[in-house]
Amino acid sequence: MDFEQLYELYWEKIFRLCMGFVNDYATAQDLAQETFIIVWEKQDTFRNEANIGTWIFRIASNNCLRQIEKQKRIIKTDLLPNLVEERSHSLEPQILFLYKCIADLSETDRIIISLELEDIKQAEIAKIVGLSEANVRVKIHRIKEKLTKKFKENGQR
Amino acid sequence: MDNDNIDFKNLWKQQIVSKPNLEEFMVQLNKFKKAGLKTYWITNAVLALTSVFLVCIWVFYQPQFTSTKIGLVLTILTMVVYFVVFNRILKPSLYVGVAQSNQNYVQGLITIKKKQQFMQSTMLSLYFGFLTVGICLYMYEYTRFMSTVTAMVFYVLTIAWSALNWLYIRPKQMKKQQLIIDELITKSREISVDSVDDEME
Repeated sequence: MDFEQLYELYWEKIFRLCMGFVNDYATAQDLAQETFIIVWEKQDTFRNEANIGTWIFRIASNNCLRQIEKQKRIIKTDLLPNLVEERSHSLEPQILFLYKCIADLSETDRIIISLELEDIKQAEIAKIVGLSEANVRVKIHRIKEKLTKKFKENGQR
Repeated sequence: MDNDNIDFKNLWKQQIVSKPNLEEFMVQLNKFKKAGLKTYWITNAVLALTSVFLVCIWVFYQPQFTSTKIGLVLTILTMVVYFVVFNRILKPSLYVGVAQSNQNYVQGLITIKKKQQFMQSTMLSLYFGFLTVGICLYMYEYTRFMSTVTAMVFYVLTIAWSALNWLYIRPKQMKKQQLIIDELITKSREISVDSVDDEME
């Protein structure tokens, strides 16, 4: 698969993962771009030892985890403030609430639930995060319970 | 399951995504590469110009004292070592181990950061130490022709500058590095503690 195909196939998924992590549109856009810069730079080192999706999600989630360490982002998207404003008005409150609830979770939980919602198999999630499959399963169950509880409390059902 | 009624997956995928087209992305990629190159060239140009400046002093002012020459050589060498070490060894690579699992990646980052912290504190101490000694030696020849008071003022200013670096800039840098390590360790612990909790249930 060449870079263009990877970009087309994974951009949206990676963006949502980043958005679930930071819940900030401009930062998520920057993180997604950085992920693809790394993918571009590293594409020759991918040796088919893993699923390409697992490989990209590992890069994206590690890049998110490294966020605190970087004092300033390596690139900045020139996103107009009114575009962000417009975007959040057009989204349903339920969607905004879901992303907010996810961003409030612990960092590992944010990554796990984002991958689960992207329909990534639990075995793959385990490989991305570095936990056992059983562990991931338990975590997903708990996170969903937590989210459901928050939705109920907030009357979002 | 209790959450059957809420279709989280459907909500999740309704997020609005603005995807830059590939051409736009390539422009960003090239900008990023150019920015990296620019920093590299600026750093090296500063080093080269400072060294040329110091060599010019040697050539045009023909220092007589050996202390002045030793001071100049020491200053140049300190700067060269500083730039080489910081550029080649200490500059963290963005991509080291980035395709590993999250747990291994964070562990790897901690190891790298600890090594960097050790190198950086040693290097910064050596850098400021050698630079101060170099400048003091270099100044000796010229301050000999000044009145005692003026010479004292020059030395006090130089030592004050050095003390500022030693007591303010150096600890600040080291503290910054330590904060990063602490935060990474917390993060790594969070992953392990969470998994132990789950295993126990």
